[in-house]
Amino acid sequence: MDSAFSVLLWIVRLAFLGLLYGFLIRAFASVQRALADERAAVRPAGLAVLVARPGGARHPLRAVNAIGRDPGGDVVLRDDAASARHAVIELVAGEWWVEDAGSTNGTRVNGHPVGSRTRLRYGDEVTIARTTLRLEQA
Amino acid sequence: MRAPALARGRELVLLLWAFAIAAAGSLAVTGARTGTFAPSALAVPTSLLAVALALHAVLIVRRSRGDQVLLPLAVALAGIGLVLVDRLAPSLLLQQVTWVVVGAGAFVAVLLVPRELGTLARFKYLWALFGFALLFTPLLPVVGQEVNGARIWIRLGPASFSPWEAVKLILVVFFAAYLEEFREVIARPRRIGPLPVPPVAYLAPIFGAWAVAMLTMVAGRDLGATLLFFGIFLAMLWLATGEAAYVVYGAILLFAGALVAVEVFPHVAARVEVWQRPFAEDLRFGASYQLVQGLFALGAGGVLGAGFGSGLPERIPIVWSDFVFDAFAEETGFAGALALLGLVLLLVYRGLAIALRAPTPFLQLMAGGLSFAVALQTLVIVGGNAALIPLTGLTLPFVAYGGSSLVTNFALVGLLVRISDRGTGGRR
Repeated sequence: MDSAFSVLLWIVRLAFLGLLYGFLIRAFASVQRALADERAAVRPAGLAVLVARPGGARHPLRAVNAIGRDPGGDVVLRDDAASARHAVIELVAGEWWVEDAGSTNGTRVNGHPVGSRTRLRYGDEVTIARTTLRLEQA
Repeated sequence: MRAPALARGRELVLLLWAFAIAAAGSLAVTGARTGTFAPSALAVPTSLLAVALALHAVLIVRRSRGDQVLLPLAVALAGIGLVLVDRLAPSLLLQQVTWVVVGAGAFVAVLLVPRELGTLARFKYLWALFGFALLFTPLLPVVGQEVNGARIWIRLGPASFSPWEAVKLILVVFFAAYLEEFREVIARPRRIGPLPVPPVAYLAPIFGAWAVAMLTMVAGRDLGATLLFFGIFLAMLWLATGEAAYVVYGAILLFAGALVAVEVFPHVAARVEVWQRPFAEDLRFGASYQLVQGLFALGAGGVLGAGFGSGLPERIPIVWSDFVFDAFAEETGFAGALALLGLVLLLVYRGLAIALRAPTPFLQLMAGGLSFAVALQTLVIVGGNAALIPLTGLTLPFVAYGGSSLVTNFALVGLLVRISDRGTGGRR
């Protein structure tokens, strides 16, 4: 092996290490940016409203909210397909969560059926029977 | 919010970096072997790039808004793995490339099926049955196969594979579903002083998992499988209940069981002896030969390593599957080994962050368990290679030669990408 080739071979070997570290740094930066974006999408949690669609009625939320046809509930819907006590939306550790309360016609978030407790972000749409409610910051 | 110029642009850039890493590695390896830089050295990295871009395209077509770093990390690790197989066992290179393609298929499969990830939770006892069946298949007389003293392989015709890898995925799904259902009960124990005492009925799964772990250690003769299985269980129990004391109880049980096993079963004792005194006169050319050669390789690397092609990793028996970490450390040095561990660390960090943000408790537990599985597996095999713990038959995720490992780890990353997508369906 002549010496020029040996030098070249070492340059390629060191380039491998350099690229490895370059990738590591860029990937780390991408993760940090993704995490910052995710935080921005969730916070600030605090007062929130559900905006009904259609209609545009605004329902302010408390820490725990019973949603359904029941007039004693926190968010009262005039939707025949909704159960009396249909779903619960609550604030836990600074984040909003929705849970179906054993309703007849089910609850969906952005079109996906809610099985167990599901996290909500601002802008998410909760569909209860035939009514769709969007979570927005107050 | 500012719209990005390209859908998943960050992922594309990182995939090109991963290709560059594999290309530089392949050039160095073939350059050192043949004495010239032939363009044919780029064939394998280019096919890796083609596979990666295909996966990237699938994610764009599916309108995935999931994580953009996991796939490039997996591709970079798989690329390093291809370079190492080329260096250590060139005759296996084509097989490894094939396994990368199959792994990519597994990645796509978990993106498409099932339509709602949450439905996996419904079949939890089926998963448990399937998982435990796979776990014990290698112990059966005809299909089971013993390799290097560990009975963790299944032979089907010409192919043999280690079911451990698939069991890892299946059991994480089962534990996530099980713990989601029962965590309320397990998480509210009675207390005697500061010590939580869970209700007797709910101690059963802990003892059950421990019994299975002990059985695999004694019958399967593999400590790695035991550590991985029980470790994943304890970590997920902790994630689900927030009771660190359960981990302590489990660790005590495992340690006590291991002490008994060392006394009673000679093959377990032999493994521990090799680990405790690898350089002993009577062992270093016999039972501990592989480990000793690995330690020499690890020590010979220095800061920047011997350079690809200039080390002597061939001296380690079965280096391409058991000791890739030591071989990589010898030829790229401390710098390379650190970066390799950094890649795995970043993958785990991203996975745990996904777990924190996951939309439902089931998916949170699943993402946490999958991430922890990668972390623990890496820890156990690298620790074994460095003689910090007894050596085991596990593989370094993505890097070591082996089909079952590559395929399940690609599936694992596919699941994490899907969980990170808003909404559980993988679609908007």
